[in-house]
Amino acid sequence: MSITFEEIDSIKQTADLIRKDCIWMSTRAGTGHLGPALSLAEILATLYKSVLKVDPQNPKWPDRDRLILSKGHGCLALYSILSQMGFFERKLLGDFCTKYDTMLPGHPEIKLPGVEANTGSLGHGIALGVGMALAARMDKKEYRVFVITGDGELQEGSNWEAAMTAAYYGLDNLIVIVDRNMLQLGDFTENITRLEPLAEKWKSFGWGVEIIDGHDIEKLLTAFNKIPFVKGQPSVIIANTVKGKGLKIAENKVDWHYKVLSYEQYEELKNEMSLEELYHE
Amino acid sequence: MSELKKSTRTSFAEAIVEVGEKNPDVVTVAADSASRYGDFIKKFPERSFNVGIAEQTMVSVAAGMALCGKIPVVTSYANFLAFRAAEQIRVDVAGSKLNVKLIGTDTGFSSAWLGFTHLALEDMGVIRTIPGIVIIDPADAAEAYVATKAIFEYNGPVYMRLRGRKEEPIIFDKKKDFKIGKGEVIKEGKDALIIACGNAVYDSLKASEILQSRGIKVTLVNMSTVRPLDEDLLLELTSSVDNIITVEHHNTTGGLGSAVAEFLTEKRPQIRQLRLGVRNRFGTAGSEDMLKKRFGLDGETIAISIENFLKNRTK
Repeated sequence: MSITFEEIDSIKQTADLIRKDCIWMSTRAGTGHLGPALSLAEILATLYKSVLKVDPQNPKWPDRDRLILSKGHGCLALYSILSQMGFFERKLLGDFCTKYDTMLPGHPEIKLPGVEANTGSLGHGIALGVGMALAARMDKKEYRVFVITGDGELQEGSNWEAAMTAAYYGLDNLIVIVDRNMLQLGDFTENITRLEPLAEKWKSFGWGVEIIDGHDIEKLLTAFNKIPFVKGQPSVIIANTVKGKGLKIAENKVDWHYKVLSYEQYEELKNEMSLEELYHE
Repeated sequence: MSELKKSTRTSFAEAIVEVGEKNPDVVTVAADSASRYGDFIKKFPERSFNVGIAEQTMVSVAAGMALCGKIPVVTSYANFLAFRAAEQIRVDVAGSKLNVKLIGTDTGFSSAWLGFTHLALEDMGVIRTIPGIVIIDPADAAEAYVATKAIFEYNGPVYMRLRGRKEEPIIFDKKKDFKIGKGEVIKEGKDALIIACGNAVYDSLKASEILQSRGIKVTLVNMSTVRPLDEDLLLELTSSVDNIITVEHHNTTGGLGSAVAEFLTEKRPQIRQLRLGVRNRFGTAGSEDMLKKRFGLDGETIAISIENFLKNRTK
């Protein structure tokens, strides 16, 4: 499959809007995990615009590809892309953490069209994905299951249980994308519990592995087009990213895991980043 | 009581094969616990999975399957299912109201010599704090068989307690059906009301016979569904008695005794309740008979406890 400039440009615009939405939603609400959402912009934009087979008008279409955001705290970015795709009206983004019993809470829930699983507690997504990939196989369906994990999240042992299971069952319809932004809540991942050599870990667990720049749309598309990397094996993309990408004061900073802009900071950046009016409904 | 003996696990294995034959969506996921599914795996290998000794993954995999329309059954030692995978049960299964059947085995004292790590005396307490999960503790193998069939007629998460491989006396030789949420009066008497679940129904039956020989007549209820509790039956029966006793092979915190107390304290505050079970202690290694005796849950000791309770009443 050839990749066109138009395709890349369209994905780039989508990623830009993800960033703007994330900043807008989180500033307006005064809460949210902004850093870990911003590192996901190109990954989610590429998946939804060019890779996933989904039907926003029929979110429960049985043959759809599934995407599980195992790092549920990155949900600002997921809410943005789902609204851009038309799973729900854009104006619902204003409900992010501002309305009682909101459809858009601080971690995603399946009540929102397009969300495939409740996530937020880390280390569940890959095993959920294994279940879905096995169901696809039982039903002789072609759909694929994509799971996005954080890198710090991989410290949860349940991931490696699920990784073993996926490899044992040869689930080449399962794809994990590790958002390798090198940061977790408390510090850089390598200062807390070292994850490296991460690619070797996955390989030794029986997975096909690719390491790419997670902000490079062309490289993301190329990698997604090659799945499965090894026939009969699940695939993992280690996507090197920058936490807080696109918001200079947040980039690669430990304290921007769960931090948002103040109204004043937002006003200062508004023109520079072409952000929406904060009170826009 | 019949002379027949059978284990609840054997009944479950028989019933699950029949359920699987009728419903092609039923799948099993094991955590190195495949033997509990009996012939299901032989008959339906394409619907049988084993994730290895990984209870958390077992539950999440089942949840993933349920999100794609399957009806998964998972099973492991009750402790490892209820404690280790509690969070997966809460978030992945109950949080999405998924149709997953959770089968905790080797409950109560049935792990015997395996000791405290394996004796499941707190599992219901864990599960009962998670909203929306039906909890069933069948009294015997006959009930385990019909209960297994019934839980597949219900669309939603269920936790069912089974015991070990050991054969136990069958209490209900003619048990035909099972209704989730319905208790059953199996003996009637006016002096006190015993409410029991699981294997404790058998010991309570023994106790009631001993009490009868001493002139005390009790009503005995098999409350095999611990949630939802049969509140109508409890209200009906407590309109004419002042003293009730709950009996369970479980900690007195969090299980049947707690469930009954929580309900009655709001609806019948005048009732005195004796909660028989394990009190703030871990299990330990011993034969089932030794353990029941030491924890005061064999028929004779239950009878003595009830006699004392009735003697010491203040009313």
